[in-house]
Amino acid sequence: MSVAVVGLGVVGARVARQLTSSSIPVLVHDRRPDVQEVTAQALKARPIDSAIDVRPDETSVVVLAMPSRQSSLTRRLVERGVSVVCTSDDVDDVRDLLELDAVARANGVSIVVGAAASPGLSGLLVAELASRVDVIDEIHVGVHGTGGPACARQHHRALAGDAPGWHDGQWITRPGGSGRELLWFPEPIGSRDCYRAELADPLTLQRAFPSATRISARVSATRRDRLTARLPMMSPPHAEGGLGGVRVEIRGSRGGERRTEVAGTAERTGIISGAVACAAAASVLSSALPTGVVVLGSADLPNGAILDDVIKRGITIFEYVGSGA
Amino acid sequence: MKMLRRAIAAITLTGIAAAILRIRGKGGVPPERGGWRELTRPPS
Repeated sequence: MSVAVVGLGVVGARVARQLTSSSIPVLVHDRRPDVQEVTAQALKARPIDSAIDVRPDETSVVVLAMPSRQSSLTRRLVERGVSVVCTSDDVDDVRDLLELDAVARANGVSIVVGAAASPGLSGLLVAELASRVDVIDEIHVGVHGTGGPACARQHHRALAGDAPGWHDGQWITRPGGSGRELLWFPEPIGSRDCYRAELADPLTLQRAFPSATRISARVSATRRDRLTARLPMMSPPHAEGGLGGVRVEIRGSRGGERRTEVAGTAERTGIISGAVACAAAASVLSSALPTGVVVLGSADLPNGAILDDVIKRGITIFEYVGSGA
Repeated sequence: MKMLRRAIAAITLTGIAAAILRIRGKGGVPPERGGWRELTRPPS
């Protein structure tokens, strides 16, 4: 069975490359014919004219990596009996995707929501750290950097939007750009001022870890970013994005003792997202995931195996030690 | 009137200085112990 990759930008091209390097047959589609042609030739992948044209008997998984909203195409693909791996980090899009559970179950397929760096790797890291505590009370995610241009625009908008958070058992929204916190990412990123932002991590993490009472997500930004967040982007986004990072902190208890555990990574955001989406697609392909909507980190997923696959694809995961936490 | 102008000028200058510090200022204390170590997962 083959995997189709829709959207061949920074993330999609890496997913396609990772899949072909794992000897998985790949179909590629991009709305830009020249990009589609070049990528298909370079990776010896088969180009397809339309994302919805995939045949369920030869393609069982579609990875969506296009910058536009992914929920409507996901629904159409699921209704055709194809599993979908979504890389969307748009809050409204993720909300819509999470509501497709009944459709996916009815068609006996899986929808992996948030299979990128954030959300995505954040869930896998929380699941990894969760084994070190008896109870998770709080989950706090920090994100640094952006992938391609679409991701950079999303980052810009996120600082001006409403930041969702899970607080003492209910959803709250706080203004994006508020709540400055200095977070330490793995080197060479180091310390960054991070602010609340319109990030989808709390939505997926609350679903994966319902016992947590507080879940928040912050994004690194300069004060200039905050001041200009409500204006159009002053300069065009970088084509490739720079070094990015994901940092996850969980607070909980073990044997009645309070514990804080921190893990993270520092790598180009596009590479992180590509590795996570590829690992999720390989997992769906091997029928390791349940049907319905799944988010990485959920208890019914082989999170350890997926994280191992992500590490095998070149992502180094770090843990923070020695702080006495 | 002269005093009012001086007050406005003082407030303006203070605002400009605060904005510059806010945009360009550095802050934060690095952790004094602990550090990042590569995560080793048990073989599956």
